[in-house]
Parts: sequence; structure tokens; C-alpha cells
Amino acid sequence: MSEDFAFWLSYLTNGKHLTWYASFQFTIFAALFGGTLAVIFGLIGATLKNSRFFPLRLIGTIYSSIVRGVPDVLFFLFFPLAFEQAVEWFIASQVCTPELIAAQSAAWPPCKEANWFLGTPEYLILASVSLGLVYGAFATNVIHGALRSVPKGQLEAARAYGMSASQLLWRVHIRQMWVYALPGLSNVWMLIIKATSLLSLLQIADIVLWADRLGAPNFLPAVGLVHEDWRWRYYLVLFLFYILVTLLSEKAFEAIMRRAGRGILSEVRG
Amino acid sequence: MERLFQEIALFGPAVAFNIYFAAASIPIGFVFAVFLALGKASSNPLISRLSRGYIYAFRGSPLFIQFFMLYSLALSFNVGVWKPMGISWFVLHPLFIGPLVLTLNTAAYTAEIFYGALRAVPRGEVEAARAYGMSRVQQFHHVIWPNLIRLAWPAYTNEVVFLFHATAIVYFALPVIGQQKDLMITAKELFERDYNAFLHFSVAALWFLAVSLVVFFLFGLVYRRLMRHMPAAPGLRFAPKWLR
Repeated sequence: MSEDFAFWLSYLTNGKHLTWYASFQFTIFAALFGGTLAVIFGLIGATLKNSRFFPLRLIGTIYSSIVRGVPDVLFFLFFPLAFEQAVEWFIASQVCTPELIAAQSAAWPPCKEANWFLGTPEYLILASVSLGLVYGAFATNVIHGALRSVPKGQLEAARAYGMSASQLLWRVHIRQMWVYALPGLSNVWMLIIKATSLLSLLQIADIVLWADRLGAPNFLPAVGLVHEDWRWRYYLVLFLFYILVTLLSEKAFEAIMRRAGRGILSEVRG
Repeated sequence: MERLFQEIALFGPAVAFNIYFAAASIPIGFVFAVFLALGKASSNPLISRLSRGYIYAFRGSPLFIQFFMLYSLALSFNVGVWKPMGISWFVLHPLFIGPLVLTLNTAAYTAEIFYGALRAVPRGEVEAARAYGMSRVQQFHHVIWPNLIRLAWPAYTNEVVFLFHATAIVYFALPVIGQQKDLMITAKELFERDYNAFLHFSVAALWFLAVSLVVFFLFGLVYRRLMRHMPAAPGLRFAPKWLR
């Protein structure tokens, strides 16, 4: 019994497992940073959509409908690759000479000097930005709807007090908007959490990649077969982890909703 | 321009796989979802708990993880069960496992939509049906179901489009066999060949967008038919609801 316990303790704290536990930071970082960016892009998108200037309104509308019309995975893969290429193209236009271009045999980059190597931190930031861009389109719609739900009387009262347009926007409109936007934003947050499972597609050694590596049949020459294919157990752990995160997020949003809705919650519910 | 048309034609066979995954999982998922929604609304605490738990688990976790989990689970039974039965080529085939997982996933999302619609069915109509002495089956068939499907249809359309988009990750989790490549794998392989991200991914996006629009159109026709008793049938717009 105690031998079993000792085995499991040492098995679950070996180097690879510790790396796995550490890789949760990537997922958490991507969710938090991506979520923040999604709200920022959502605010920008909603402002554009509300703009009186037609081209800006058009940009806002196109942003919120095109990104939504294609799968999130596609954009998630496309944006970091396209960004990397754009940077490499810019470097190439600065450093590449015709001789260097002629010496290059691969299709991309134009010359070897223009190659921009991306490590995990860079990919993580790019992944978060693309999460922000994709789910910002969702947030745009949520916030756009919420801005329109703020009672007209509140805005008229603010205007009657002599507030300028920007004061009105920041002190009254956006302040009151949150209560109406929170249920929708909580849904967007759930989508972002689920989308963080895709990080491994961008070569980030995240929890999914490590679960795959750790679960694969493990054979050590010294001890023989440590375990056979245990991948499903590791994925089951991740499955439960995500359900747990969803559960906790729900509770947290309920608490935020109660706090944000002080004084006006009955109106929102009604 | 010609390059673009060639590229679009090149993706033609690939889109068939995405459509296959969606078309194979939607009808079964639909039936499963009806039972799950009724189960969630059931007065039997065991059935209600089980359905609730199932819906919560599959809505609360990423589809990507569900793919990996169920595929590796199927793999672990390979030597013990599938191989002796001689069906391992079938059970482990992406064309079987893919729709299976998608069905389980969409059933949970659809069940939540149907459950919401079920609770929105006007009470008076159900009471009237009961007053007429209808049995429970008759009540469901003549009163609850027609109301439910009309209430749920716009959201269900949205779910179908989401499911179609979700088929994009099938082959990122499951092995690609031979030339059976869907839109995303085709785009990725073409990209790895000539690094032209803008062309390949845009064409794949175009295909997804086109099929989504067709789905909206077809489901809009069905909605018009469902609402034919109404004076002015409200049409379905592109992306009526924004969230899954």
C-alpha cells in the first residue's frame, strides 16, 4: 500500500509531470490575455459600429460578421502565420540583396537573413492576439447590443447636466453598459477558455501536448514497460479540468453580476 | 485570378469531408438531443441529473479535448476488444470516430437549446391539451413538439452552422488517412508547400462561408414552412444569434 503510494507520488512528481503542471501557465495566460484583448477589441468594434461616420461603421460591421463567418480554428492558425510572414517580408525588404535572394532555395523567406524565429513566448502572444481578434468580434456584438440597452433617459439626463460627448460615453454609457453586457461576455469567456485547448496547434508545448506525451506508452530500458497507452486518462484529467474551470467561471460571473447589478439588477432581470 | 479559381476547385473534394462530418452527426445528434432535453426536464431525479450532467460536461469542455479523449479511449480498447472482433479498421477510422464525437458534442448543445424552448412552450396550450383528455404522448406529439421546434429553430440553425465550423478541427485530433483531407488539412498542406498563407487560408474560409450561407438559406426555408400559419413569417438572417 505504502509502496504504491510512494510509486504514485514519485511518478506524479517526476520531471515530465512537473513540466506538464508548469505548462498550465500557458493556457491560463492565453485565456486571461486573450480575454482582455477580446474586451478591448469588442469595445473598439462596438464604437466603430456605433460611429456616425459611414466607413468606420462599415469596418465595424465587416469585422464583426466576417470573423464570425469562418471557424475560429482557421483564424487562429492564419493570424500568427500571416503576421510572421508580414514581419519577415518587411525584414526582407530591408536586408535582402539580390544575391542573397538568388542563394535562397526555399519558398519562404526570401532570404535566410530575413527569417524570424518564433519561440514559445512569441507564439503565445500571437495566439492570444488572435484569440482576442476572433472573440473580439463576438464581444463587439455583445457590447453593441448592451450599449443600446442602456435606458435612453439616463443618457438624456447626463446630457441635460451639460456633460460633453466623451464624458457621457465614459461616465454614463459605458459604466452602465456592463450590466447588460455581462451575460454575453460570460459566454464569450467560456468560448475563449475552450479555445485555449487549441494552443498546441501553434507548436506551444501546452497542457494538451504534454498530456499526449506523458500518456504515450512509456518504456524504460532499466525497468521495462512503465505503463501502456494511458493517454485517455490524461485527456480525462484535462476534460475534468476544463469542466472545473467552466464551473468556477460561472460562479465568478454570478458574483460579478451581483456586484455590477447593485441597484439596477431588478431592471435587468425584468 | 485563374490561380484563385484553380485553388477553389482544388478545395472541392476537401469540402465534401467537412460536409460529410456535419451531415452524419446532425440527424443523430438531433434525435439524441430531443431525448436529452426531455430527460433534463424529467421529474425523475436520476434521469434529470444524468441528462444535466451530460449536457454540462459536453458544453463545458472543449471539443478538441473530447476528440482526443474518445479517440484514445477507443485506441486503448483496440487490442482487447476491437481487434478480436475484427472491427478495429472501422471503429478507429476518423470517418466513424469523427461523426461520433461531433454527435455527442452537438447533442449536448442542441439539448440545451431544446430544453430552453421546452420551458418556453405556452402553459395554457399544454393545459388545454390535458383538458381535452390527451395522453402524454398525444400532448407531446400535437402540442409540445410543434411549439418546441418553432421556438428552437433559429437557435438550432445557429448551432448547425457552429457544428459545421467545428468540423474544421476533426483532422487536427484524428489521423489523416491517405487522401482523405478536409479543408483545414488541405489548406495547411498547401501552405507548407509554398508558404502562401493568404491565398490558401482565404480560400478555405471562403468555402466555410459559402456552406454556412447555404445552411442558413436551407434552414430559413424550413423555418418559413414551420411558420406558415403566421401572417408574416419572420425570416432568418445571417447569424441570427452570435453565441453557441
